Amino acid sequence: MIRLENLTLDIHGQAILRDVSLDIEPGKVTGLVGESGSGKSMTALAMMGLLPHGASTTGHAWLDEGDVLAKSEREMCDLRGNRVGMIFQEPMTALNPVKPIGEQVAETLVIHGRATRREAIEIARARLARVGLPEERFALSRYPHELSGGQRQRVCIAMAVALNPELLIADEPTTALDVTTQAQILDLLKGLVAEEGMSLLLITHDLAVVAGLANHVAVMQAGRIVEQGPTEALFRTMAHPYTRKLFSASHHKPDRAKQAQGAPLLTVENAVRDYPTARRGLFGRPGSFRAVKGVSFTLHRGESLGLVGESGCGKSTLTRAILGLDALQGGAIRLQGQDIHSGPRLASAIRRRMQVVFQDPYGSFNPRWRVERLVAEPFHLMDQRPHDIANRVASALDDVGIEPAAMSRYIHEFSGGQRQRIAIARALITGPDIIILDEAVSALDVSIRAQILDLLARLRAEHGLSYLFISHDLSVVRAITDRVLVMRSGEIVERGETAQVFAAPTHAYTRELIAATPTIPADWQGDLHA
Amino acid sequence: MLRFALSRALSLALSLVVASVVIFAVIEVIPGDPASYMLGLNATPEAVAALRDQLGLTGSLPVRYFAWAGGMLTGDFGISYTYKVPVADLVAQRLWISLPLALYALALSTLIAFPVGLIAAARRGSVTDYGIMGATQLGIAVPNFWFAMLLVLVFAVNLRWFSAGGFPGWEGGPLPALKALTLPAIALALPQASILARVTRSALIETLSQDYIRTARAKGLSRRQATTRHGLRNAMIPVLTIIGLQFSFLLAGAIIIENVFFLPGLGRLIFQGITQRDLIVVESLVMLLVFAVILVTFLVDLAYAVVDPRLRRRA
Repeated sequence: MIRLENLTLDIHGQAILRDVSLDIEPGKVTGLVGESGSGKSMTALAMMGLLPHGASTTGHAWLDEGDVLAKSEREMCDLRGNRVGMIFQEPMTALNPVKPIGEQVAETLVIHGRATRREAIEIARARLARVGLPEERFALSRYPHELSGGQRQRVCIAMAVALNPELLIADEPTTALDVTTQAQILDLLKGLVAEEGMSLLLITHDLAVVAGLANHVAVMQAGRIVEQGPTEALFRTMAHPYTRKLFSASHHKPDRAKQAQGAPLLTVENAVRDYPTARRGLFGRPGSFRAVKGVSFTLHRGESLGLVGESGCGKSTLTRAILGLDALQGGAIRLQGQDIHSGPRLASAIRRRMQVVFQDPYGSFNPRWRVERLVAEPFHLMDQRPHDIANRVASALDDVGIEPAAMSRYIHEFSGGQRQRIAIARALITGPDIIILDEAVSALDVSIRAQILDLLARLRAEHGLSYLFISHDLSVVRAITDRVLVMRSGEIVERGETAQVFAAPTHAYTRELIAATPTIPADWQGDLHA
Repeated sequence: MLRFALSRALSLALSLVVASVVIFAVIEVIPGDPASYMLGLNATPEAVAALRDQLGLTGSLPVRYFAWAGGMLTGDFGISYTYKVPVADLVAQRLWISLPLALYALALSTLIAFPVGLIAAARRGSVTDYGIMGATQLGIAVPNFWFAMLLVLVFAVNLRWFSAGGFPGWEGGPLPALKALTLPAIALALPQASILARVTRSALIETLSQDYIRTARAKGLSRRQATTRHGLRNAMIPVLTIIGLQFSFLLAGAIIIENVFFLPGLGRLIFQGITQRDLIVVESLVMLLVFAVILVTFLVDLAYAVVDPRLRRRA
């Protein structure tokens, strides 16, 4: 039994956790849900004794009879990886890039003196096989960069469970993964809990993930657990307003009138995009990889078109070609009949009619520029810079709900949601016809995401914009698009009206994607919809 | 890995060819005819022509290039205008001082910088860290000829542990020779060690903030174990880069220190060659140094690949 009792945490005097009490039962899955900054990860790090400098805690974290918070660093080293294992959100960076995977799994055993190096490698081999990486296909001598994100997360799980810990803490273990990979990893975790009797503390922002996996759920807001209980009961009642808010935000569908289909605006005809691959041999010719295999579609004026697919399916490659960043190897992309790839560079007259908003609201701004300059940047696409730049920036900011006084501030002063609003203002400033939204809401919390989706719906109605909405998140695509394209391995495998595709998918891959998407059982939500 | 090494070796050979053409061309086009320079202002055109012929300065450019490059390959660097001895002998003599000195200084610098950088990174923000950062700042700022003179004053003049300069040669055994190189090596190593310690510190701090260090800690490794088992090797790339640059610099860049300690090294030879317009010496030495730099770069490239498996596939 693991029990948190009135856990309170301050970091450099700032309150992070307040009176967190939670029982984690053996052999059960406990879900901890909340938005970023709510303190979920800090709760986990407190239990691991890995809090950052300047942290001070009160309360207790009981692991059997011992209080983890009272243990010395040496005792904690004995405990970590041994009695409590942990996996993290970002499998791409969680493994040491210069050590083979077998060695990294074996290290857990060696470091705790549980096995000699030779025995440890044997156990590592078995554990890797257990998490779905059998040695025949995934040699122990492989390096992390030779594995996909899902495979790396499996290695992390093998490392964390190598010593059969009593508690496994999984901090957003599938957030960075594709929906089908997510389903597999969640399945694996579920199987491990069932077979080995360990407890799992599953930390996530995704209510649907806990609904499908957890026995017990705790909802966290601003450092406090506001509601907890057995999963089904909690979802059926949703006693706390925050739980209800979180739930409705995750299902949010912006109000959007179906607009009459306008004239074709962007046409993609048999677009082909090849990538050179590594040379074969010293004097060999580089090979090539066809990432986009003859894709065709049309985006009409005022339409919101979704493009879904898993990472590596070619959607980003296609996006780059549409934006004129890469040349096509075949086919054509036209904006109102004008071939955008006719010149060596995309004409600025075309570029200013197509703007883009990227996923990462932190990385897509120059940190040394003020907001006014950031938003005004696309003006260099105009033949003549307008003289009322400040006014236009102010009105674009006003459009996206940012007060114009923000013009003189720097981007680090804004939250993720505000930054994404500013990115949208930057896209709007040249009065484009099309905005390409490349995973534009994927990094945002559900409540912020709901607001941004509302904003996008309003802007489309006001400005008659067309959206190409690229995402791996089916629920978002479902909420905001009129038509949807499903892409796999460089090809569009299914297309149609969004509602229809989701209701009756015809292609096996679309069915697989929809089935893999975690959902909250419909009858659990009765009270809210009533 | 073998393929990686071969492809790097090929690029090394190509770089050498390009470098030799450039060096030859530059020396050929700069104004100042060695023959007329050597014979003085009153020389007759006939005498200059005769000397030019003797020096091998006649003939078409390609012929002269291939003669020069071919000679280099077989160890024939030509005859020095001023010293009247084969350049190869001159270089060999000087190399026996400069190479050990460079290696000595590099070894000292690395041996000091690693632990110092490691301690500073491990105790980031502590008094120790600030002390180390301040000391290395000073080490970079102090002119090394001044530091060299200080060393001479303290250890040669006052304490009489070392001689103030000169080089006894390797004939009397390695110990006296190494002893003579000790003060110059320390003087050379001080700024290099300071730079390297700072690079090591920042590379380690960067590495220690990586996710895989957190993973290692979650597996039960102590802070120290995580640093040594997972941090060090990942922090090596920038450190190796700096070590490579430093070795190239130490080989020929020691001219001031060579002067302070009266050491007849490569730096002084280049300096003399330039002032005396001894183009054959300059040409050969520059080529030799380019070779050394390219070779070191090659070795550093191989070391990268040993350290980081992700670099092995890229050729």
